[in-house]
Amino acid sequence: MPVTASIMDDDDAVRWAVRLDAGPLDEAEQAALDAWIAADEQRAGALLRAEATLAYLDRGRALAPLQHEEAEPYEEEAPPRFGRRLFLVGGALGGICAAGLGGFMLWPGQDEGGLPARGQEIATIRGEVRRVPLADGSFASLNTASRIEVAMGQGRRRVRLDQGEVWFQVAHDRTRPFVVEAGDVRVQAVGTAFSVRLRNGGADVLVTEGAVETWVVGRESQRTRLAAGSRGFVSGAALRTEVAQAPEAVDRALAWRVGDIALNGEPLSHAVAEINRYNERQLVIGDPALAREPLVGYFRTNDPENFARAVAAMMGGHVRSEGRTIRIER
Amino acid sequence: MRQSRREVVAWVGSNIVPHEADLRARLRRMAVPEQEISDIVQDAYLQLSKLEGIGHIGNGRAYFFKTARMSLLQRIRRDKIVRIDSMTEMEALTLEDQDPGPERQVSARLELARVRALIDALPDRCREIFELRRIEGVPQREIAERLGIPEHTVEAQACRGLKLILKALAGEGPGNNRTISNRKVDASDSQHHG
Repeated sequence: MPVTASIMDDDDAVRWAVRLDAGPLDEAEQAALDAWIAADEQRAGALLRAEATLAYLDRGRALAPLQHEEAEPYEEEAPPRFGRRLFLVGGALGGICAAGLGGFMLWPGQDEGGLPARGQEIATIRGEVRRVPLADGSFASLNTASRIEVAMGQGRRRVRLDQGEVWFQVAHDRTRPFVVEAGDVRVQAVGTAFSVRLRNGGADVLVTEGAVETWVVGRESQRTRLAAGSRGFVSGAALRTEVAQAPEAVDRALAWRVGDIALNGEPLSHAVAEINRYNERQLVIGDPALAREPLVGYFRTNDPENFARAVAAMMGGHVRSEGRTIRIER
Repeated sequence: MRQSRREVVAWVGSNIVPHEADLRARLRRMAVPEQEISDIVQDAYLQLSKLEGIGHIGNGRAYFFKTARMSLLQRIRRDKIVRIDSMTEMEALTLEDQDPGPERQVSARLELARVRALIDALPDRCREIFELRRIEGVPQREIAERLGIPEHTVEAQACRGLKLILKALAGEGPGNNRTISNRKVDASDSQHHG
């Protein structure tokens, strides 16, 4: 019986895939498709398989160009290429870059950009997410347990990320480059929105608007440019920068700005580590296999109890609360 | 949502579909019954269909195998797999993408050849339509005009061709081991083999 049923579903899936390929559905067709999908959970998978197979065959049309589109992480040879491009950009902007570089060379000699010796410190406690206006008209949204020091000078704007993760909306001001320092990693923007998260051995950089340039102290000539919708891991220790073009992933990764965590197939262990950043009550996974289960959905970052219950319901486990920990077990 | 779904479909088409035959072959070597294999593969596509984006998946092939492993484990635990001879969880865990070699970076030329071979294997009318639609990118309506046949005939041929290609990708085409559930599939489509 199940065999026949699934074969019939496959046939229907094929028909829908071909129909979708022919052109947009009218209202009645769309309703019929929605009803067909809703009737059996498996059908969404069967339809995707059929549609994706057509898409696979389409590669016959333009396979060679497609190969170049893949935005795989850049390897060692990437920085020089970006260095060249930076040079061109610098020319176009009429020496802004040169000014930036100059400022940067003299960096340890404090005063060059007219920066105050000590900046303004802004911090969030665990579980707190805060959007703070800065003196230059920019905004900094601090994620949980984060700390920055902001110094605004006449020649440049500097933010030191001491802990955690911050999303910046940078006020446009070409005469004063906006540079975030995260360990050895530097991220420079002119008028842009981007986030920086301090990591072991480097920093995650996510760009939501405009573009930024990042580099590592000691390797100033090798800059990597990140455009809107891309994310990069810049590592001081390994002297490498990985860049991926992933606008949706960037949006998801910044869901914390509205108190959410967005999961798209990441393992439970990842979700738990993320949610634990926000709460005193810590989630613990009692089963290694459970830890590897992929999760999809939006969850509140400040409600570990409900998250645990939702996960347990989905994966057939149960929840045990003991003091400051919430255990998810099989 | 709709647009991101299109992106997911395109990504699945170029990063998952090419590896389906390998995954099925691997499951067959583990002596998983044919119907279970189909369900596991379907399950993996279902998981993918739930994603809103695929940006976080670096390696489609590894992700595909991982999802399948998860599904296989769940089946063993919930006894969905009635009885796979001596299959244990430990064995299920060995379902990994163990051959990351050249297959993962199939050259454009080789992949093109695979796509071509799939289309070439179709019956005449089918093949003609697939060449026009998939390789030359001619819209369905225009294909009907060019060939002087009604559009619904083009659509019917496209369905027939897609079914055959899905079967070929599943490794159920000629030359592969057939099982009971395959025979059922074949029976429903036997006119294509005559």
